[in-house]
Amino acid sequence: MNGRLGLVTFFIFLFLLLMIVFQVLSMVQADRLYERLNQLLDRLSSAGSVRVAQESQESKQADLPGKEYPGDEGDWLVSVEMGEPRTLNPISVENSIEARDIYARNIIEPLFYYDLDYDGVKLVPVLAESMEVSEEKLEITVVLKKDIWFSDGVPVTADDVIFTYETMMNPEVDAADLRNYYDNVRQVVKVDDRTVKFILKELYWQTVESVGVFDVLPRHIYKFSDPKEFNARRSNPAGSGPYIFDKWDVGQQVVLRRNDNYWGKKPKLNRLVFKFISNSSAALQALRSHDIDTLEPSSEQFFELSNDEQFKKDFYTLSYWRPSHGYSYIGWNQAREFFKDRGVRLAMTHAINRPAIVEYIQKGYGKIVTGPFYIYGKQSDPNIKPWPFDLEKAKQLLDEAGWRDTDGDGIRDKDGLPFRFKLSYPSGNETYERIIKMLKDDTAKIGVDMIPDPVEWSIFLDRMNRRVFDAAASGWGGTIESDPYQLFHSSQIQRRGNNYVGFNNAEADSIMEQARRTLNPEKRYELYHRLHQIIHEEQPYTFLVTRPTYTLLDKRFENVKVHKLGIDFLEWYVPKDKQKYK
Amino acid sequence: MIPTLLGITIVVFAISRMAPGDPVSLAMGPGGMMDAQRAADVRATRMRLYGLDKPVHVQYATWLWRVVRLDFGDSIKHHREVIDLIKERLPITLTLNIISFVIIYAVSIPMGILSAVGRKKFLDRASSVMLLMLWSLPSMWVGQMLIGYLCGPPINWFPPAGLSSNYAEQLAFFPWLADRLWHLVLPIVCLTYAGFAYLTKQVRAGMLDNLRADYVRTARAKGLSNWAVIFRHAFRNSIIPVITIMATLLPAMFGGSVIIERIFSVSGMGLLAFEAVTTRDYNVVMGVATIAGFLNLVGLLLADIAYAIVDPRISFESAE
Repeated sequence: MNGRLGLVTFFIFLFLLLMIVFQVLSMVQADRLYERLNQLLDRLSSAGSVRVAQESQESKQADLPGKEYPGDEGDWLVSVEMGEPRTLNPISVENSIEARDIYARNIIEPLFYYDLDYDGVKLVPVLAESMEVSEEKLEITVVLKKDIWFSDGVPVTADDVIFTYETMMNPEVDAADLRNYYDNVRQVVKVDDRTVKFILKELYWQTVESVGVFDVLPRHIYKFSDPKEFNARRSNPAGSGPYIFDKWDVGQQVVLRRNDNYWGKKPKLNRLVFKFISNSSAALQALRSHDIDTLEPSSEQFFELSNDEQFKKDFYTLSYWRPSHGYSYIGWNQAREFFKDRGVRLAMTHAINRPAIVEYIQKGYGKIVTGPFYIYGKQSDPNIKPWPFDLEKAKQLLDEAGWRDTDGDGIRDKDGLPFRFKLSYPSGNETYERIIKMLKDDTAKIGVDMIPDPVEWSIFLDRMNRRVFDAAASGWGGTIESDPYQLFHSSQIQRRGNNYVGFNNAEADSIMEQARRTLNPEKRYELYHRLHQIIHEEQPYTFLVTRPTYTLLDKRFENVKVHKLGIDFLEWYVPKDKQKYK
Repeated sequence: MIPTLLGITIVVFAISRMAPGDPVSLAMGPGGMMDAQRAADVRATRMRLYGLDKPVHVQYATWLWRVVRLDFGDSIKHHREVIDLIKERLPITLTLNIISFVIIYAVSIPMGILSAVGRKKFLDRASSVMLLMLWSLPSMWVGQMLIGYLCGPPINWFPPAGLSSNYAEQLAFFPWLADRLWHLVLPIVCLTYAGFAYLTKQVRAGMLDNLRADYVRTARAKGLSNWAVIFRHAFRNSIIPVITIMATLLPAMFGGSVIIERIFSVSGMGLLAFEAVTTRDYNVVMGVATIAGFLNLVGLLLADIAYAIVDPRISFESAE
């Protein structure tokens, strides 16, 4: 009996020992991160600020603008998408960021595209040659380039532009989101084969941009008799771009190959492969073993790798600002007793330790946001400084607003209502999770009881739409220039509009209305600067943080440049001797 | 069988509609940046387009009528027929599950027999502790650990994601097969290791019961060899509970594993179902649930038939 017991004990010990070994293994990773964090914090305090140095990119050949990209032809670019697109139909409502990554500019080209070296909206011709805006006539005239054709050789004409517009506007076609951008266009008329006129309902600056970046679909390929047929067309995107759709292996990848019949400046890379990898640490391992060439890591991953000399021998670690990241915020529902008072909202902002979020959660790479605009864009007023983290000031503001702890339970109250609210946020997001833990501690210090309330995304949306929340943490995606009308105009409070928080300010309303009609960018920026100030004073949201985009990229690619609006793989190439795929 | 299936669909239908949120609001999201008036219009149009504006019982009746004609409807998100989506993903899930299924049985049955025969000896003890250990490791964590330590430099033994390499299409059949299998190793490890413990225990328990039974003693008394007794007599009788388990595994094979599929970026049935639930893609949820429910019932039926084959005492012919 003893012998057998001994055996069991032995195995139990073995088991425990193994568990300990596994535990240690998983802690190693955490430790490594922690060490790096300390190193970085040391450097932070000595250097003052961290703006990640960009890799030196001496391209060996001079870039000849307009004619051809430099470098050798060949090789593939294998990149990763975290999710698989549901459709590659460019005007479907189910269109996702992943889908756009795949077809936009590669397969389907717009009339104009943003100048990547300008941090505002500056449109440069792609399919179009010129664009003329007539403010009096409410017309935009677009002239197409002369010798341009789709990948099958059929010329791009005004008919294709009109076909795309009409398809998008067809109420049976599932394109509600996109339709919204062209809602202000009354009609598109053909002037001649190369000229179209967009006739507008009213003056609105964003319509000019939307008309500019209008994607053109080939009519002879996409034409349909039944809109259902068009809605169901999810694969095989076709257009005039430098790449052609090759195949979509469901669950695995989409492959594009170079369009050798391209009308314009041909890129050098033969193939673009977009692999679908849903697990970010698996994606990183795939990058390390050179299965994929590029990916956008999380702050933590980037932080670790950009300090890893061994890794940096093989990969570029790029960090750059671009508008699409958007910002995170906490919205205060002004229909609630607590937050209808500006003083209270301001107090909450003072109680949120935003510098710590940047330092600890974003590893020092992020920035505090003060308004709804891209922080390095022209709409944002650079003179506005974020409200500081100041608990004393927060307490004082709450006292002034009449929230005092009258019953001595440690929680402020007013007219018998204790200051206790729920902060709702989408569950499963580790970053929010961590931010909100910090928040709970800080609000407790000023006598406010904040209850974290993680909710599933669909329920979260539902609550925002029905306005049944106290406060909500979320984020908005960004564009180079955005129109805050949907978020902050008082007309958007009703009927499930996007003004969830119920912000209602007469001056802000009139500025937003006026700005929409102002086509002159300088004048418009002035108006938006004023709006930025009002929002900063009123704090309908406590704006949290934004962060740069990180990219890890195999070093065999050359001519990798960081533009003001990001990177552009159309200009990359791999020297012959380093090419990996045939 | 039909009333049960009907019951399943009613319950799933009710639950999916009771969950807050709907596919239209979700698709529009908060980021549509749409004028409020416009958004309300769009919402109404789309609700009508998908027939979601009708009362729930009418929606159910419409759905049921379509299913009777074997039409599971279109996915709201994918704009494709549900059945096509399932056809596309089922092979991946089936490959993974059939291989792991075979491995689990191939390992567990001999293991169970050996443990039972050598009861309380070293092999029995060792295997049961080891299997229990494996069983108690969460597959999510094991998966991440395998990816973290076996994929990527410096070890780089296995690919961390997907089903084939970038150059797979340029390979001949056998190298291609090798490449595919190489990609399947880690997901299959994660799918199998926990199954050993349960099945081995079942086989072992069944064997022990039978080895103690009188007929085994009789067989031994007849002078049959030890292994003949074990295989021809005891084993055949103890396989019955194992068949029951097999029946319950059938729907699991269809349903796939959300966790494993997500960790190893394999787009199979599990991910499809998961995604459909989170995006409230009602037709897909209903399609997957109905087929899984149906397979479950078929599994049970098959188990009953299998009993009759293995167990001479059970017969479907009416007793006279």
